[in-house]
Amino acid sequence: MSCPEKYFAYMHDFLDEDISEENEKELMEHLRTCPACEQHFKELKKAIAFVQSTAHIKAPDDFTSGIMANLPKENKKIEVSR
Amino acid sequence: METIVNSRIKQVLKGDQNAYGEIVELYKDKIFQLCYRMLGNRHEAEDVAQEAFIRAYINIHGFNQSKKFSSWIYRIATNLCIDRIRKKKPDYFLDAEVPGTEGLTMYSQIASDTDMPEDQLARMELQEVVQKEISNLPEKYRAVIVLKYIEELSLNEISEILDLPLGTVKTRMHRGRENLRKRLKNL
Repeated sequence: MSCPEKYFAYMHDFLDEDISEENEKELMEHLRTCPACEQHFKELKKAIAFVQSTAHIKAPDDFTSGIMANLPKENKKIEVSR
Repeated sequence: METIVNSRIKQVLKGDQNAYGEIVELYKDKIFQLCYRMLGNRHEAEDVAQEAFIRAYINIHGFNQSKKFSSWIYRIATNLCIDRIRKKKPDYFLDAEVPGTEGLTMYSQIASDTDMPEDQLARMELQEVVQKEISNLPEKYRAVIVLKYIEELSLNEISEILDLPLGTVKTRMHRGRENLRKRLKNL
């Protein structure tokens, strides 16, 4: 269970797509022989997949009109006269 | 997209307020989504997202057009979300003793960050569970996780948006992922 810290750092470097070829090779070799680290890595990827799977939601229909109605008036070129 | 935005900004600077509506249309879903995932609540998300666009409008003279407008509006929105989260924090102290108990502090009242009771899990939709766990992340980790995995931004963009060194963004990303791993591993 007490694998060197570097493997956890490599996992995150891998997930950041910022890992050297050499370190990646070393990480993959380690994961093949260490079920605990392999499990850890799987859980990290699963957590990311869950976050990515949250449905994308859209702004409400009246979102833009709500903003336009609340902008400060002084910059308006043509003020509607009442 | 940035070219369109820059030409609209020039129109806005000349006093054409309607051109700003086109900018809002381009970014509204992204900004609303960011606020929703940060705050976990539609009503608050709408409120904060609208405020972000209004602030951007008011400060549009200060926007440096050689930079990306998207990074700028993301930064305004993220900061407003973080302010909102901090204001929402309860004002009791975790190490204060719970009234009527002997030596029991608020720490012991907080669920550990590992398991949720199974029946509670079953009642919630998966999406809700995930959103709840995102909402439980400390805000500095939440911001990088949402920007990266929901808004799909690069670490460099995130570093620009949050005005943090790349190394700090990476550290927060690593801690945020480990934090989420613990919260979501039993799903």
